[in-house]
Amino acid sequence: MDSSQNTPRPGRWRRCAALAASLLLITMLLAVLAVPGPAVRQYPQRIPVRLWHMWTAEWKVVVDRIVQRFNESQDRYELIALSVPSASADSKFLLAVAGGDPPDVMAQWNQVIPKWAESGLIVPLDELMTPAEREAFERDAYPIARKIGTYKGRPYGITTGLNTWACYYLPQHLREAGLDPDHFPDTLEELVAWGDKLHRFDRHGNLVRLGFMPEWFTMYAPVFGKGFYDEATGAVTIDTLENLRALTFLVDCRRKLGFENVVRFRSGLSTGFAAEWPFISGAYSITLDGQWRVEQLARYAPNLEYRTAPLPPPQGGRSRAGWSNGNFMIIPRGAAQPAGAFEFIKFWSGLANPQRAAEFYTWGGWLPLRRAIADAPVYRQYVRKHPPFQTFVDLLPSENLQPTPPVPYQVYLWDRIGQIDDSAMRGTLTPAEALRTLREDIELEQAQRRALGYAD
Amino acid sequence: MLTNRGIMLRTMGTRTKDATGYMFISPWLIGFVVLTAGPFVASIYFSFTRYDVVSPPVWVGLANYKRLLGQDPLFWGALWVTVKYALVAVPLGIAAGVGLALLLNLQIGGISIYRTVFYLPSIVPTVATSVVFVWLLNPQIGLVNGVLRWLGIIGPAWLQDTKWAFWSLVLMSLWGVGGSMIIYLAGLKDIPVSLYEAAMIDGAGTIHKTRHITLPMLSPVIFFNLVMGLIHAFQYFTQAYIMTQGGPEHSTNFYALYLFNRAWRYGDMGYASAMAWVLFLLVMVGTGAVFSTHRRWVHYGQ
Repeated sequence: MDSSQNTPRPGRWRRCAALAASLLLITMLLAVLAVPGPAVRQYPQRIPVRLWHMWTAEWKVVVDRIVQRFNESQDRYELIALSVPSASADSKFLLAVAGGDPPDVMAQWNQVIPKWAESGLIVPLDELMTPAEREAFERDAYPIARKIGTYKGRPYGITTGLNTWACYYLPQHLREAGLDPDHFPDTLEELVAWGDKLHRFDRHGNLVRLGFMPEWFTMYAPVFGKGFYDEATGAVTIDTLENLRALTFLVDCRRKLGFENVVRFRSGLSTGFAAEWPFISGAYSITLDGQWRVEQLARYAPNLEYRTAPLPPPQGGRSRAGWSNGNFMIIPRGAAQPAGAFEFIKFWSGLANPQRAAEFYTWGGWLPLRRAIADAPVYRQYVRKHPPFQTFVDLLPSENLQPTPPVPYQVYLWDRIGQIDDSAMRGTLTPAEALRTLREDIELEQAQRRALGYAD
Repeated sequence: MLTNRGIMLRTMGTRTKDATGYMFISPWLIGFVVLTAGPFVASIYFSFTRYDVVSPPVWVGLANYKRLLGQDPLFWGALWVTVKYALVAVPLGIAAGVGLALLLNLQIGGISIYRTVFYLPSIVPTVATSVVFVWLLNPQIGLVNGVLRWLGIIGPAWLQDTKWAFWSLVLMSLWGVGGSMIIYLAGLKDIPVSLYEAAMIDGAGTIHKTRHITLPMLSPVIFFNLVMGLIHAFQYFTQAYIMTQGGPEHSTNFYALYLFNRAWRYGDMGYASAMAWVLFLLVMVGTGAVFSTHRRWVHYGQ
């Protein structure tokens, strides 16, 4: 018998391989074609205005609704929204501007305004405002909204959602510890004493419940004094007695619990996003957090009994104070449709029509730009539905809320404050050493910037 | 004898062949010129400027280099972390790789499965490995501390402990040692059996054979891995970026991470370019130093 009859011929194998490769190629091509392309324009006759934002998932749905409302209200512009991955959004934006093809408007929350304004990357919005709009912005916008968006006296960003922080607490824990939830402490010292009564440890001394522990120097520096920036002189203030007092207070509180004990306790908790917030499971009795938790608690833990209260000041400190940030809109230099972009900013932020915009703020559980929005019936109704939200709204008129100092090296300053905060908490540096190190470091950075020809 | 016409036709043929060759490699060539060589050369200029990508670069002379070498404590800290990593992780990786290759060179049952198992981690993407290790090294619920607790040891806080974060990354580097292990294994297979037979006749034991035959014959492969390991150590970035962001207290603030932050986080491209050039020179000097010693310990089988 001829053995070659059982041996497959090479030609046949080649044909089979070629067929398989062709099929694979066709499948890949079909897969690529099956991926939905960019949305077809709904109003091709209108002028396109391109928005970049960084929201995804449920937040993107809200943005899309606002965009749809804007487009329905328009007969001149069509807004086209694009969600850009937040991790690379800033670099994409920089390269888009450098390449001469930026979006017309970008929604941001990163600390970019001073640096980008200094580089001439973004447009001062007073160039697009009418005198009446500028006057209304200066008069009506909450102080913190103005501070976040302004660089060297000119508005570069309009906020579409502010963030403030306040105490969330579980009345049940307080009652169990013999504390009265109806009389929340008036001073930070008293609050810390409450926290001490609420901590729980296991038999090995490991922390299993954090009552309350003040932390985050950036947040507490304005509570103890002026914080990191003197608005009158435009100077960065670091090594002040108030800041030293704040950092010493935080370090002392941390030392009582033990730095590593808290690290280990925290590392065993969930990430903290939405339904996984450890407060829901009772890992914290009193904790400082932002207003977005109210909406999340309503959604993911509707039966949880909790309350909110403003962070009480320390003796001699400032009430309704702290660090704050927000979402804001900017327009890049070189935008094809700056007028259309500003039209959208006014629409969403409520500069144009606060009554209409109030609804958008309720969709995202955002804090408004101005009082007229907060006083709008639809917004009042939202707050009545979520009473703990009122605490955060009440903070907005405060002059004591501070953003990160609006200096061009803002991100560097932010990072360095966080680093010396960490070193002080770990005990590597004393609070005084930490502040001195920070001051020297920032002075060096300023000197080096001047050597490179920057104004400040 | 070729006529003038013949020479001309042959020249034309060679040129056509050359052109065809260049055409075939043009996708790579264009990519290299535009995406690598161009920026590489441009970065020399940028390192002498104040540059933020958007505004035109402004010439500042040696200011960036002066600041780098004399006035930036973070630069020196980052450089030290990187050098320390190169000094520790590279030799450790070589020792682990060679040791593993020697074990996996044994003729025992199921050796192919062992080789596959040890090689597999090296093909897992770095990002995925980093995320997994963040969980493994979690002080409270991580597997590593769980095992230590089972043994009666309270494990450190690993990535959140200033003293341990750097060593956690060194430890993690061993996870990918399978990549170099496979090269060592190929090198071991190339060693002539006759050398071992001759040594055996001379009465040499395992240690002697390893020291006087295996390691010298493997030295070209070790040399290759040393050079590549050194270069990779100086470019160490992804794991630190994902797992520690340079902390705690700058203990994992690697050079490439600081360079990235200066460039993209602080918008200081001129300074970052100067840092990149200092890094390039350091890698060149480091590699040159290793090359200068290779005659003394690398054997090419002559």
